Amino acid sequence: MEAQDKKRVILTLRWTAIIVTSYLILFGRGRITDLHLSHILIATYLLSNVLLSFLPKKWFSTSKLFYPLVLFDTGIISFGMYLSEKMATDFYLVFFLIIIFASTSRNFKLLMVIGGITALVYGFLLHSWGLLISKEGVSYILRIPFIFIMTAFYGYIVQTLTREKHEELTISEDKYRGLFENANEGIIILRNPQGQIADVNREVERASGYTKRELLQKQFLDLLAPPEIEKTRDYFEEVAEKGEARADYLSLKKKDGTFMEVDLSMKRIDLGDEHFYQAIIRDLTKQRKLEKNIRESKRNLEAIFDGIRDRLSIQAPDYQILRVNRAVAENHKTSFQELIGRKCYEAYFQRTLPCEKCPVSLTIETKHPGSSIMKLVEDNTTLQVFSYPILDEKGGLSSVIEYIKDITEEQQLQEQLIQSEKLAGIGILASGVAHEINNPLTGIIGMAEISLEEEDSSKNKEYLNDILNCAQRIGEIVKGLKSYSRVAKKEDLNSVDLNEVLEESLKMVRLAVKTASVEVVKEFQPVQKIEANTGEIQQVFTNLITNAYQAMGGRGGKLILSTRSLKNSVEVKVTDKGMGIPQKYLCQIFDPFFTTKNPGEGTGLGLNIVYRIVTKYEGTIDVESKEQIGTTFTIKFPTRRAEA
Amino acid sequence: MSKKILIVDDEEAIRKFLKIHLVKLGYEVKEAADGEQALEQLGKDNFDLLICDIMMPKKDGWEVIKQCKSNPKMKNIPVIVLTAKDQDSDMFKGYDLGANYYMTKPFTKDQLLYGLKLMFEENVSPLQ
Repeated sequence: MEAQDKKRVILTLRWTAIIVTSYLILFGRGRITDLHLSHILIATYLLSNVLLSFLPKKWFSTSKLFYPLVLFDTGIISFGMYLSEKMATDFYLVFFLIIIFASTSRNFKLLMVIGGITALVYGFLLHSWGLLISKEGVSYILRIPFIFIMTAFYGYIVQTLTREKHEELTISEDKYRGLFENANEGIIILRNPQGQIADVNREVERASGYTKRELLQKQFLDLLAPPEIEKTRDYFEEVAEKGEARADYLSLKKKDGTFMEVDLSMKRIDLGDEHFYQAIIRDLTKQRKLEKNIRESKRNLEAIFDGIRDRLSIQAPDYQILRVNRAVAENHKTSFQELIGRKCYEAYFQRTLPCEKCPVSLTIETKHPGSSIMKLVEDNTTLQVFSYPILDEKGGLSSVIEYIKDITEEQQLQEQLIQSEKLAGIGILASGVAHEINNPLTGIIGMAEISLEEEDSSKNKEYLNDILNCAQRIGEIVKGLKSYSRVAKKEDLNSVDLNEVLEESLKMVRLAVKTASVEVVKEFQPVQKIEANTGEIQQVFTNLITNAYQAMGGRGGKLILSTRSLKNSVEVKVTDKGMGIPQKYLCQIFDPFFTTKNPGEGTGLGLNIVYRIVTKYEGTIDVESKEQIGTTFTIKFPTRRAEA
Repeated sequence: MSKKILIVDDEEAIRKFLKIHLVKLGYEVKEAADGEQALEQLGKDNFDLLICDIMMPKKDGWEVIKQCKSNPKMKNIPVIVLTAKDQDSDMFKGYDLGANYYMTKPFTKDQLLYGLKLMFEENVSPLQ
């Protein structure tokens, strides 16, 4: 009803109520002694309705106006009834009966019927008591329409109030319907937990594949996958008992026969005597898929982590072990739990402080990866330790990955390879050496034959001398070979004159590669002796000189060997005017097995051996090279060792 | 007139005893200690036989034989290769370049005599 109509009806009803009340007061005349009070009361009532007519229309749409209005009117009317004569208790009782009827009634028409009946019954009672035909009969007669009009007045006001409430409810229901329909989670309204579906929202339709109409004809249990029904019995019992319950990972059957996993939470809603159950369904398909992916990649990572046969651990920045892989546990013959939480250096190496060469320390300090080689004296193993930082979102160090690789075997293998490389080197030298041995051997044989035929003893002496010379040269060559193939031990260290060894090495290489036109320039300065193994130093030089000859190939060229003394070291340079090394290979040439030669021509270990020997004596080796111009290797050996 | 032989070898002892043998047999002998000396000698003189080592400084024996065989004036001089290179591939290389006899070191006097006999009495290479 429009606010305009409401105002008009209220005002009209009140006018009627005022007129009836005024009549009641004015015609009652019973006990009225104070006519003024009666007039003031009527005037007040009239004025109130006049004032009310000035109020804005929209006020009549709110219930706030009606409560004071009802109180005010009831007060005035009650007082008016008091001022009217013959203020009998029965009249009051009937009046309040009407108010009670009006305020409890929900149906206006029924109320009017009740009001009519009440008025008639009251009229009949008044008549039977003989009051209507008495002198003041008029005032009694007036009571009958008064009752009816009051019924209509209160009835209307109460009706208006309740209708408004109802409208408010309607509005909020629309809101809730919107929320309900558009919720991201499926909502099912049920009469009882397992029973008939009363309402569903769109999400339920979408997820299940059923239409709303189809769903409304189903029981909630129909939606559950058959194996779930047994499992959910406890669940429904809990709902019935406590009014709510949650169930995770339920499987619901969709229209197309497939299943979807859901989380279900059900709650009882009480509306007066009625109970509803609200089931909220969260579709876990996407989440499941995501979780599955995460679980899978986690499993993969764990498998990789554990599958790596080298020792891996993740450590906090205070060396505390957060996680280890199987290899660590197996290596220390203990369980994961034993290691986790302990400091790395304590758990792995029985130390009280971090190891000196620990790369983890470096990573903790610099946040950069590190690596180092650690030799353990206790069990004679060699470990290569790598560390990598794990940074948090802000770039701070959250943890460190420590990767320990046992390279003991690898190193032994490499030693063996180096040894076999030496042997291979001897093979290469062998043909040259064979030539060089065969030459003096041929001399010996030839001279011996001549000497046998010769009768002149003075000539024979000369021949014998020649034979001796040749034999001595063979001896020297054999000696050189021996030192080449020997593995140096600590006790094999001696004072080495680099110039001498360089000279000898040159001689040996020239035996092997006798190319025609290599000019050899020796720029030797007197240098301090170094503490080393002669054979190894010789190997260094023969390797470098052989490379130099090979670099010059058949083209011939110039080989410069030089030595000089520096402050704390001795420097040796081997320079060739060969083909040079391409820039891109320069950083690889010392790597084991790096070779640019054809298969079978070189093993790629030569320069690696050089590097290892030089670094073994704490020396350094540098290379400078220009393609088509030549290469210079510069080696520096410290002299401190010899002084000590 | 006695036949003239050039011995080329960087090993002095070998040159020495070869010379003693050959002089005793009545040949005229000249010596060269490397490839360059050998070619120089070959250019100066007419030889009836060249006994040549392979692995020598400056110019190796292969080079000497090549140049000798490519020169019309010298290409008919028979060549005995005398070397420590005992691989079959070296021997074939020698014959391919035109050598007439291939001897590996160490060798005996008898082997030398057989070679000389092949060169001078029949004047054919065993391969031909």
